[in-house]
Amino acid sequence: MTQRRQWAAVPGLLALAAVAAMLSAYSGASSPEGRQPAQPIAFPHPTHVKTLGMNCLYCHFSANKSPDPGMPAVGTCMGCHTVGVQTPEIKKLATYWTKKQPIPWARIHKLPEYVRFPHMRHVNAGVTCQSCHGQVQDMKTVYQENSLNMGWCINCHIERKARYDCANCHY
Amino acid sequence: MSVDAGAIGVRRREFLKILGASGAATTLVGCSSGDVEKLIPYVVNPDQTVPGVSTYYASTCRECSAACGIIVETRDGRAIKIEGNPAHPVNQGALCARGQSALQGLYNPDRYRGPMIRRDGTLTPATWDEALTLLSQKLGEVRSRGGAASAVFVNQHESGSFPAFLDEWLSAFGMPGHYSYEGEIDHAVVAANRESYGVAWPELNFAAARLIVSFGADFLDGWGASVPQQLSFADARAKLQDAPRVVYVGARRSLTGLNADEWVPARPGSELAIVNALRGSGSLASAADTSGVPIGTLERLARDIAATRPSLLVSGVSSSNAMDVALAVNAFNASLGNVGLTVVPANALRGFENAATPADLRGVAERMNAGSVPLLMVRGVNPSYSVPKSARFAEGMAKVPFKVSFSCYPDETTVLCDLVLPDHHSLEQWGDAEPMRGTLGLQQPTMDPVFNTRATADVLIAVAQKDPGAAARYPAKDYRTWFIGRFPGGADALTAALPQGFASGAPLPYRAVSHQRSAAPAAPAETGDFHFMVYPSPTLGDGRGANKPWLQELPDPVSKRCWQSWVEIHPETARRLGVENGDVVQVETSAGSVRGPAYLYLGIRPDTVAMPLGLGHTAYGRYAEGCGANALDAVGGVVDQGSGAMAFSSHRARVTKTGTHDRVVTTEGSARQHGRGIAQAMLASELAEHGDAHAAAAGHAFMGDASHEFLPGLRSPVANDAQGDLGNPASKDKGMYDPTHWSGMAKRRWAMTIDLARCTGCSACVTACYAENNIPTVGAPWQVMSVMPDRTGFGANLLRGREMSWIRLERYFEGAEHEDGHFDAHFEARFLPMLCQHCGNAPCEPVCPVFATYHAPDGLNVQVYNRCVGTRYCSNNCPYKVRYMNWFGYGEADRKQYAFPEPLNWQLNPDVTVRGKGVMEKCSFCVQRIREAESRATLEGREMEPDEFTSACAQACPSRAITFGDAADENWSVAKLAHDRRAYHVFAELNTYTAVVYLKKVNHPGSGQQAIAPATGTEH
Repeated sequence: MTQRRQWAAVPGLLALAAVAAMLSAYSGASSPEGRQPAQPIAFPHPTHVKTLGMNCLYCHFSANKSPDPGMPAVGTCMGCHTVGVQTPEIKKLATYWTKKQPIPWARIHKLPEYVRFPHMRHVNAGVTCQSCHGQVQDMKTVYQENSLNMGWCINCHIERKARYDCANCHY
Repeated sequence: MSVDAGAIGVRRREFLKILGASGAATTLVGCSSGDVEKLIPYVVNPDQTVPGVSTYYASTCRECSAACGIIVETRDGRAIKIEGNPAHPVNQGALCARGQSALQGLYNPDRYRGPMIRRDGTLTPATWDEALTLLSQKLGEVRSRGGAASAVFVNQHESGSFPAFLDEWLSAFGMPGHYSYEGEIDHAVVAANRESYGVAWPELNFAAARLIVSFGADFLDGWGASVPQQLSFADARAKLQDAPRVVYVGARRSLTGLNADEWVPARPGSELAIVNALRGSGSLASAADTSGVPIGTLERLARDIAATRPSLLVSGVSSSNAMDVALAVNAFNASLGNVGLTVVPANALRGFENAATPADLRGVAERMNAGSVPLLMVRGVNPSYSVPKSARFAEGMAKVPFKVSFSCYPDETTVLCDLVLPDHHSLEQWGDAEPMRGTLGLQQPTMDPVFNTRATADVLIAVAQKDPGAAARYPAKDYRTWFIGRFPGGADALTAALPQGFASGAPLPYRAVSHQRSAAPAAPAETGDFHFMVYPSPTLGDGRGANKPWLQELPDPVSKRCWQSWVEIHPETARRLGVENGDVVQVETSAGSVRGPAYLYLGIRPDTVAMPLGLGHTAYGRYAEGCGANALDAVGGVVDQGSGAMAFSSHRARVTKTGTHDRVVTTEGSARQHGRGIAQAMLASELAEHGDAHAAAAGHAFMGDASHEFLPGLRSPVANDAQGDLGNPASKDKGMYDPTHWSGMAKRRWAMTIDLARCTGCSACVTACYAENNIPTVGAPWQVMSVMPDRTGFGANLLRGREMSWIRLERYFEGAEHEDGHFDAHFEARFLPMLCQHCGNAPCEPVCPVFATYHAPDGLNVQVYNRCVGTRYCSNNCPYKVRYMNWFGYGEADRKQYAFPEPLNWQLNPDVTVRGKGVMEKCSFCVQRIREAESRATLEGREMEPDEFTSACAQACPSRAITFGDAADENWSVAKLAHDRRAYHVFAELNTYTAVVYLKKVNHPGSGQQAIAPATGTEH
């Protein structure tokens, strides 16, 4: 077998690999752990949580009453940021506010669309935000700490004696 | 023989090298797909809404003029579902398929995006400023030329304050009162009722009657106020052995006719003779002669009517003497003492008062054709489609110098207009209605407008304020302000009343001006062997439903056909003409001709052919245009002289076979049960003979009497054993399947009962399911593969059995099964909603190679979409055929077959996954509602209450036939009903242990009539 013929298999295998990659992406199996996309405003969670002692629910206001945790409206930010220091990042915020535009945050934690994750059930069962989202209060820029894949969910459900039937989350 | 692998193949080391290179590439491919999704918050949080939690608005349905109360569920600012308002006096929580489909009007992809002005012959987008200026200018021109008194405004008929508001506005511009047109109202009956009782529509109390006789009144098909009538009718039927017998007199067995115990097939036009003979003012012999009904039948009917009090007689014929029939029936009811008992004028519905008739619109058409109408304004009606061509409405429009439409949709009338000022949808605007005297139904916006539209009332105010003569009369800045201003108690009282959806009060009084009617055209000499009947479609109405894919895909309750027109013809006649199912026949009358594929139907007289209205649009958007034929093409201008109602069944027709064949787009497998005992029935006498439940307990049971040794949907012992701890058959640990397990899941047993004595086959449950569960419609022509040209066109997917209807209404005929197909009126129809039976021992589960379907501990047969690989083994193994495959990417926005073109996708229920291509799906027992109720109870720290929630189908059902709940807890209604004496499981012999329990239909054969139903309905 010549060297040339030998490597002729590469495109074929590449194609196969691409198919496998697409399939794995389709099935949601690829893990996005460590993902840390750039955000439109460098929002410092540590300053708000640790320095100012704010509760997560102050901004993520519906996490205890809705499947949706709630992202703070620009108006919520401006409730405080009209006073105090005006750093370049806060000025960016003010610009969104004057233009009456929402801040297009980059989404970090995302479950596939065939999964239902009711935030309020978890928050009210005493699962801390950090259990899934990691130590956000220490993250200067938020990144995804946990895989959020199904095995990871189920382990916790079994440990904490929560139902783990498929149709609890998949419907 | 040994082969040296190294010599001809790839050596191991090299293979690994290659694999390594490919693997690295894979990693690159894998990482490059990291699209960053955006999380967009609000700028300012809206008050009183929580993202992800539904907000509900009470409002009023505007899909017909009955004005039912609705509750609109909105999520994050978008309306996602419409349900009946349980507190509303008219519909008591139920809602028909058409009312639920209002959402598809709101999000219709063909709605006008904004105002349009005709420039160089075509309608082009314009700004509101331009449009309003043009309207003001034209109004000024008409007035200055003295033509205002001849201007015409045709509005959709609605009760409430708007009609009077509109007339005030018209008079401010010197224009006459408007036409409040409704093509679906039975104007003949309205006129007769006004004469007899002084009201348009007395309450029809079916539940109080002991005998119901309908003379062509299709009170379950949309005739009159469909939902309240159906509620009352189902309550009557639920009395089982004491229920009224129902007799239907008419040439065609409509859905109402199929729900009757006896069909008296009278010739069209002979109803008056029958009614008169029955009440003693005519001879039975001559009535029998005229109607073609055996005299024995009429004598028996006369005896029954005389002997049974109270009874309820209703007329709803559509012939040229319709009002005379209605008057005769009213007089008959009065003489029988039914008025006040079963016909209650005191509880009259107000929705049908003051409506303009087809004869009025013919008058408009005549004036337009004479060139004497300088300005035509149309809102919410489509006369150039829904008025027969012989009236020449469209031609007349061409002679009107300026035509304005306020329609949301590009319908046949609007596309002929010069200016389009698209109205808000009824879910986007303020309004009121008067469903009953003293009750004011409130209509409020449920969301911000989808498009750049404006409420017509606001447009009228804006135009008036620009006009120096009218401005002073319009101090309010918009209709809402005006509306609040006249509401008793003002804004605070309105705010307090809105959550309920109605208040006591009355709208601005409106009195329709009498319009100049056309001189009725002389009835042409009718020739032809057949009577031709045209009837409003139960699903599409007079055609206004045709642009909503849910309604197009909803099979007609009688013919089970969808996405097409059909000509109903009796098998005996078809045989004579050599016509088979689907052969295209031509129906020719004195007014014109129409073609359609034949539907061989047992329930029509051999001398009659019939066609539904609602299809054959030449405009009206992608779902309507070019689908089917318009039966009105063969209908002339004959109206009932007394009332101005269209006479739809006054024509004679010649029927010829064209030689071509059209496909039959149907969801029906067979019209017969072939002894399978799917839809079972019993005789009222059987129930009566065997006494009450105590007798059953004592062992006196009839064959097939309910016997449940198991909970509905319980896992059979075999199935239960198969699933031990992590699949270890030796393990005794049942995990969550153990009722004592900490999860408590197995304590519940979700189950459903369906009472076939109540079910009328109306199919509202089907649409409710489509709305709740994001079920795609698949019948549009672009939803198939274009490479197969013979498989395109409307309904092409359905031809191949690809409908996705999780719940379907099966309709079976019993009796009249003759080899030669000769006419036999003595047959019965049975309706049965068929959905996933959530079997305890499900045939679909063991054949799934990937465990995508399995039995949950709480009794659900679960389909996990993300596990499914689409082998379709489950569907193959399902005896009920209730699993549906996504053959194409109906749920994928980037595909041609996408079922929810923008903005139809705004309706999608965020709680339910939108399924992708290659995935199997089926009824989930509304698992999202179960989980929602569980979450609510848990968060409130309590146990779920009995009957706390229900499935979407059960919620919508206007017959209250469906009950859903926990069969393991006897406090739930379903647990009691599952043990009813009429209970049975479909295909119980397969040991499927279904969780859906049907209660047998109860038949009431007439005295001396042969009972059709064998004792149990089964033949094994």
